[in-house]
Amino acid sequence: MAENITFGLAADFENPHTLMKAAKRCRDKGFKSWDVITPFPVHGLEEAMGLKRSRVPFFTFIGGATGFITGTFIAWYMNAFDYPLIVGGKPLFSPVFPFPVMYELTILLAALSTIAGMFILNGLPRHYHPVMKAKDFAATTDDTLRITIESSDPLYDSEKTRVFLQEIGGTNIQELED
Amino acid sequence: MSTEATATGAIAASPGKKDWSKIFLFGGLIFLIISLIGVYMGFTNGKARPAYGLLIMFSFYLSIGLGMLLLTMIHHVFGSGWSTVIRRQLEHGIAIFPWLGLIFVPFLLISYLSGDPGFIWKWFDKTAVETDVLYQAKKWYLGQTRFLISYFMYFGGWIYLAHKLRTYSKAQDVDGDPKWTKKMVFHSAWGIIFTALTLTAASIDWIKAIEFHWFSTMYGVWFFAASMRGALAVVALICLYQIYKHGPLTGMFKRGHLYDLGCIMLAFTVFWAYISFSQYFLIYNANIPEETFWYNMREEGFWWWISMGLVFGHFLFTFIYLLYYRNKIRAIRMIFICCWIITFHMLDLYFNILPSKREVYDMYVPYPFAISVWDITAFLGIGGICAWSFIRSWNSSNIIPLKDPRIDESLRHHGR
Repeated sequence: MAENITFGLAADFENPHTLMKAAKRCRDKGFKSWDVITPFPVHGLEEAMGLKRSRVPFFTFIGGATGFITGTFIAWYMNAFDYPLIVGGKPLFSPVFPFPVMYELTILLAALSTIAGMFILNGLPRHYHPVMKAKDFAATTDDTLRITIESSDPLYDSEKTRVFLQEIGGTNIQELED
Repeated sequence: MSTEATATGAIAASPGKKDWSKIFLFGGLIFLIISLIGVYMGFTNGKARPAYGLLIMFSFYLSIGLGMLLLTMIHHVFGSGWSTVIRRQLEHGIAIFPWLGLIFVPFLLISYLSGDPGFIWKWFDKTAVETDVLYQAKKWYLGQTRFLISYFMYFGGWIYLAHKLRTYSKAQDVDGDPKWTKKMVFHSAWGIIFTALTLTAASIDWIKAIEFHWFSTMYGVWFFAASMRGALAVVALICLYQIYKHGPLTGMFKRGHLYDLGCIMLAFTVFWAYISFSQYFLIYNANIPEETFWYNMREEGFWWWISMGLVFGHFLFTFIYLLYYRNKIRAIRMIFICCWIITFHMLDLYFNILPSKREVYDMYVPYPFAISVWDITAFLGIGGICAWSFIRSWNSSNIIPLKDPRIDESLRHHGR
């Protein structure tokens, strides 16, 4: 019963330096479902955590390509196919004159899909996360650096992980409820 | 502390190596003299191609120098931290203006003192263009005295700015006083406005006015965008060369710097395309013969393929290539795209300069595209002198601005 409702273990660290070392140990140990909570950006932490680059650019590219194709199609369909119309002695379709349309739609859909991709990959919108249940959660937005290891991780073991967190220099080790 | 040791170590090590600057100087002078002989021979035979080779290459190095000057000033005005490591390389680069000013003198001699003043810029030949309606309309700008005064003003301003930025930066290396940074910011603030205006006017005077019949409001911005692209590619190559085989910038010029340079290169690729396309787009849509002839001439013969090369090579390929993160952090991939951009930047200048000199003046027959031997001698000649000026400056100063207030931030620059 207790294990079912445990989200994971949390440990606090003295300063960014010890945090960085601890993060590297967690990464090398092979944990997958874990996270670091800091009140300020720590440069180089994503490498210490072994995080890969964000996949948001993929969404951006798909959005941009869709926009470009849509823009081209709109211009061709309206002006050259559905209702052929000569304007200013220009050809019915050419990549030159409707370029602003193609270009604007590229930008628009690329930007929108970037935001959408960011939301999807972040798991947003989300109003609640188990780490917020910790009594001193507010401290992690002020002066506390915290590592959480989730029980869903295949390497997780409530006793061994607790010992591991102590080994890497964690203090104030607490169990988080799900 | 360790930085200082590395930097001074690198400088101490350089006299032991062969001093390449003299070789570049003599090589450059020899090729430049060959080029000038070519210009003279062409002049006596009434062939403008060698002189145009020199003009194209002059524009090439001028654009890179101006791009570097602007990058230096932009760095100061924005108070940017990350680019401090790169800034010293830019400061070496902007030492070329006095020499470029001298290399321009033959054009002035031909236009003002020779028997054929319209040899380079047709409008200098008053008797030939006096009845030209468009010349009469543009007479207020196309004046010989104004042209000469402008030449001195442009180069005077650029030399002055470059000199100030270089001396202040070196002075800061000695005492580390932040007041030098403030002075550099001050000179950069007015310098950006000055350089923007003079760069526009210079590109109109020296490149666009070859075809004084034409109209375009985009020309100065085009030259600015092209200059920035050329300068960024050259700076990236210079920095990469200095980390090659544990070169002097090793450990200082890092992945983050390379990545950020790649990002600005991407931005200016888009900007260049935006400007070049806008110019084409407006002329295409307005469809007035007074403007469209410029592009029509550039669809003749091989120029068509150059135009397509600029659209798909200079823009599209570079744009897609630089979108990918890995292409911006791997040195070898950046070297490739920098060389690519420099090559197409050169073609862009060919495209803008050469067809405007018509083979038959009264008809729309552009000079055919060809890379003549005089282009190569001019490229090597001016290039040798620029390399000499760069290395001479490099030898006489620290590898990075050691005591710049932001150097620490730059050395710790973390980018991904």
